[in-house]
Amino acid sequence: MGVYSDDPLWADVEPLPQDDGGPNPLAAIAYTDEYSEAMSYLRAVMASNDMSERVLSLTEDIISMNPAHYTVWLYRARVLLTLKKDLKEEIAWLNPTALNYQKNYQIWHHRQTIIDALDSPEGEAEFIAQMFERDAKNYHVWSYRQWLVKRFDIDDESELKAIDELLRADVRNNSAWNHRWFVVFGRHEGDSLDETVLERELKYAQAAIYLAPQNQSPWNYVRGLLRKYNKPLSTIKPFATEFASLDHPDDVHSSHALDVLADIYEGEGTKADAAKALDLLAQKYDPIRANYWTYRKFLLGFPPEPDHPIFHHHNY
Amino acid sequence: MSLASGPGRARTDTAHLPDDLRLYIDKHVMYIQSLDRRKDELEYWLTEHLRLSGLYWGLTALHLLGQPDALPRDEIIDFVISCMHDNGGFGAAPGHDAHMLYTVSGVQILAMLDAFEDFEQRVQDGKRKIGHFISNFQNRDTGTFAGDEWGETDTRFLYGALNALSLLGMLHLVDVTKAVEHVDSCANFDGGYGTGPGAESHAGQIFTCVGALTIAGRLDLVDRDKLGAWLSERQLPNGGLNGRPEKLEDVCYSWWVVSSLAMIGRLHWIDKEKLATFILRCQDPELGGIADRPGDMVDVFHTVFGIAGLSLIGYPGLQEVDPVYCMPKSITQRILAG
Repeated sequence: MGVYSDDPLWADVEPLPQDDGGPNPLAAIAYTDEYSEAMSYLRAVMASNDMSERVLSLTEDIISMNPAHYTVWLYRARVLLTLKKDLKEEIAWLNPTALNYQKNYQIWHHRQTIIDALDSPEGEAEFIAQMFERDAKNYHVWSYRQWLVKRFDIDDESELKAIDELLRADVRNNSAWNHRWFVVFGRHEGDSLDETVLERELKYAQAAIYLAPQNQSPWNYVRGLLRKYNKPLSTIKPFATEFASLDHPDDVHSSHALDVLADIYEGEGTKADAAKALDLLAQKYDPIRANYWTYRKFLLGFPPEPDHPIFHHHNY
Repeated sequence: MSLASGPGRARTDTAHLPDDLRLYIDKHVMYIQSLDRRKDELEYWLTEHLRLSGLYWGLTALHLLGQPDALPRDEIIDFVISCMHDNGGFGAAPGHDAHMLYTVSGVQILAMLDAFEDFEQRVQDGKRKIGHFISNFQNRDTGTFAGDEWGETDTRFLYGALNALSLLGMLHLVDVTKAVEHVDSCANFDGGYGTGPGAESHAGQIFTCVGALTIAGRLDLVDRDKLGAWLSERQLPNGGLNGRPEKLEDVCYSWWVVSSLAMIGRLHWIDKEKLATFILRCQDPELGGIADRPGDMVDVFHTVFGIAGLSLIGYPGLQEVDPVYCMPKSITQRILAG
């Protein structure tokens, strides 16, 4: 006897056992009883397109056992919308579930469906902040946040403030850097470029680099900014030189600065200096990518040694 | 095919590796064969929503290990067909909603088993139905693809669509030019790609975007040096690769990162020997299987991507893998030539 077979609420439903399509199928049945029973009732209600209240408790039960079961979520959303349930209650139920299953993808899709139907982002920023306390790089949450910003046209100021708080907690959070780019540029694609924004963003990223010079996110951000505004990389030459200088090859504080300097020297036509910077990267500051740095040197016109692995791409 | 993790655990004695660090081919074959005998475990059933993809992962691993017949062909075809819906889509298991991801896995399995004809005999008009299921998910204005009727779009679904349709010889059903434009709009300031325009660069999504562009014949849109630099930066001092800056290494990125580098001709920008050592350290030498990192529980997902990664970097004794499809190159060549 089971939870559902003993419940009068479900007396009219004939549970549907799993049919794997063969006498000795590759994926035959041996569920644990509880899960197996709930699933057989789910199959039955789905087969009859049952949209009644009891389906909500059934789907809640299955989700509590297996939140990754995508079909259950889709069916639940359909029932909620059909019955015109109070969707705020759904969000209240959803919050602890999302906090417990950080890697779950279905929960965020479901949330998006519900919030879209509610037509209000109220409380979402607070909940996202709670999620980020556990994992500030959760890809599902960041995707959801971007959707929220677009869907409800959330203002830049509050977004930039939230990003700033996250970067204060962890200046290496690449997701937050990406979101910053999205807020400042991505959502305003096509707008004319404002020089004061360049100045503000450059200053912001440079301050972050002072905190942690060996952090690729703000360096990528700076490169992206200069490219976006069509400024030469040499704009930041004095800045980069603070972290790496060919005069002090043993005192390099950032391989990214050395990388930037190599590009700047190349642009200035001082290829020998560019090659020196690339050699330092290949030999000392980023040897695991020696082939990449050798390739960069090759692009400058310096041929690699004939036995260099750059010539043996396919050999193990 | 079970996606349950374990029972084995990757070795932890990483401090003193034996000189003969090697790939335990026989153990991995036995591990994959044993997965289906774990139906008395709840976790087997809790991973049912991934089953068809699990089968694809296990089968691909066996092919790359040189044991393509280690799972029963007829039973696999039966199971694949039992996951198919009337609308031409496949669910992860019987009774699960049809979804792009499992439809792609279904097609890849049939392709690997050279079973398109068997399939067509048993399911009337089957291939055409699949083609229409997939192509209906394209938004003709934006070029994007949804994964199911709920409409969420993701570059994963776009790649999956082009992957499956190209194997079926049905790319003409979709607007490839629009799809390419969409992928191009997902390129980020750092050279990578995400799930959609503006989404953070992620090695898994880069694989799907570069894979889609390769199938479409539009790799010319990729700034190879810039993307290659970002991808090669994923290698950490322990040899393993991460999927985003400042994240932990994980064996699955041995596939997503390295296949992307291979597609853009920059495979040699990572240290292959260090990567091979990292992957091999993630094996369970007794019970077989590969984990995400040393000391963790093995599973079939990390097993296939570890083996496929080793194949890409030319590790001896493995079949060559196609970096675009994550299937044996001999098979994709046969199908795409026909």
